[in-house]
Amino acid sequence: MKLARIIAGTILLLAAAGALGARYLAPAGYEQQFRESLDAPPSAQHLLGTDDLGRDRLARLLFGTRISLLLAPLAAAIATALAAFIGGIAGYFGGWVERCTLLIVDLFLAIPWLFLLITVRAVLPLNLSPESSVAITFLLLGFLGWAASARVVCAGTRDLMQSEFAWLARAAGFSGFKFLRVHLLPNLRGTLLAQFWISVPVFIIAEANLGAMGLGVSEPLPSLGSLVGELQNAVVLHPHPWQFVPLIVLVVVISCFQTLMNKFEVRA
Amino acid sequence: MWKKVFLALFRIAAIMLLAGFLGGTLIRVAPGFAFDERQLNSSLSAQSIQAIRQARLADADILHYYVRYLGAFTHGDMGMSQTLNQPVRDLLRDRLPATLRNLAWAVGLAWVLGLALAAASQLTGSRVMTFIGEGLSGTFISTPAAVLALVFLLLRFPPQFAPALLVFPKIYRYCHNLLRQSYALPHVLTARARGASGLRVLIWHVLPTMLPQVLALFGVSVSLALTALLPIEVICDVAGIGQLAWQAAEGRDLTLLVGLTLVVTLLSVSANTFSDLARETLLRGKA
Repeated sequence: MKLARIIAGTILLLAAAGALGARYLAPAGYEQQFRESLDAPPSAQHLLGTDDLGRDRLARLLFGTRISLLLAPLAAAIATALAAFIGGIAGYFGGWVERCTLLIVDLFLAIPWLFLLITVRAVLPLNLSPESSVAITFLLLGFLGWAASARVVCAGTRDLMQSEFAWLARAAGFSGFKFLRVHLLPNLRGTLLAQFWISVPVFIIAEANLGAMGLGVSEPLPSLGSLVGELQNAVVLHPHPWQFVPLIVLVVVISCFQTLMNKFEVRA
Repeated sequence: MWKKVFLALFRIAAIMLLAGFLGGTLIRVAPGFAFDERQLNSSLSAQSIQAIRQARLADADILHYYVRYLGAFTHGDMGMSQTLNQPVRDLLRDRLPATLRNLAWAVGLAWVLGLALAAASQLTGSRVMTFIGEGLSGTFISTPAAVLALVFLLLRFPPQFAPALLVFPKIYRYCHNLLRQSYALPHVLTARARGASGLRVLIWHVLPTMLPQVLALFGVSVSLALTALLPIEVICDVAGIGQLAWQAAEGRDLTLLVGLTLVVTLLSVSANTFSDLARETLLRGKA
């Protein structure tokens, strides 16, 4: 398993490096059109060919990977922060505060969250700029994806509150924010880190699902989800092997996250 | 027992009401709700556009809208879909059977596949079986539903089998861990040491121990299958409620969206409640 994690980590580092250096590695801009070679097969000039609009597929893949790889962790950080705040408060105060919070959590978990996401994403304005669509897509993921993590954090906080060191700390006069900062948060770090890593692949998958339905990042900006969405017509009309590279990259990236995630789950 | 059932039904009703309100509120406060795409249609007259705008404004107060909606709902009226121009009840009646059929296929197949692979891996103790199980579950747990839908579309496979492949990894991993823990229990070790056959140990000693925990996963598997079905129905063009939700979301159809939220929540919460009740009954029977 250690070897698998090393391989997964290396692949992710390579993908991240490629995505971050997209500006230098990509043979062209993600929106640059080569009108003389529409839907061209791979060649020395275009290693993965071009799409229907004559845009270089490799360039779009590199820039798309950058958006998904950078913003999914950002959304996961938002969701984890919300979960830490809401779950932490519920576990810290207990009693009716915890019961009311868990009811809200149950409510969020009762509605399949992709359904909620599709619905809320679809009612956003039609005239969004591509940059706004990126921000909104990942902010929505962050703001709607906290519920499951909040339940875990709440349970973790409750357990900590009943532990001996917490009793001792409170008996020594620690309370409120200081108790939270000095005693609870450092001990919850493992749980929060695990929740963060669990959320990253979940959000990449959610963005891919949204993108495939045309509700993710707007054109001409690419993301792994929107690149998969572009395949929809190609699959029905004239599929070529090189068109499936974004799909393979997406699955490999998520698999690597899942492999690394196991380590954090064990640690937590 | 009846008290438990009554409380469970009350809980389902309460969560449905709150979920409908939550869904409606989220849709209502989304910044693009006040705008209707039909307003961009240049062939419509100024009066028609004004009427569309007025209809949209009528739903502006979400609390008022929801109370009115629930009042009509108690009389069996779920309102009129603005985009499809049909009663929501009729739309749901047309689309729900396809989704329920696909849901049943997905959950059934996922459980058969997950349990079979986990049991085969544990009973044979073969590394190859474990490798196959881990490999398959690892692959499908990393595959977005939309990607699998595209693959099924390309290979012309029946789309109802796709969600099963996305749900089975959770079942396999959970059951595999449970089986491993159950086989390490003292009474199972004793039974094996006394020479009980593998099948006998599984049926009489292992399954009864793990059944309550397995049942707890049933509700979750239904929710997972429902989530997976949404993009699959859209991409594979299956006329179910996933596709309907997609159409409603695109048309900003609040009435249809609230109706769908209620139905989807009902399915998900009912499965979880059934799971909990069955588990509690089983545990009480054991005690």
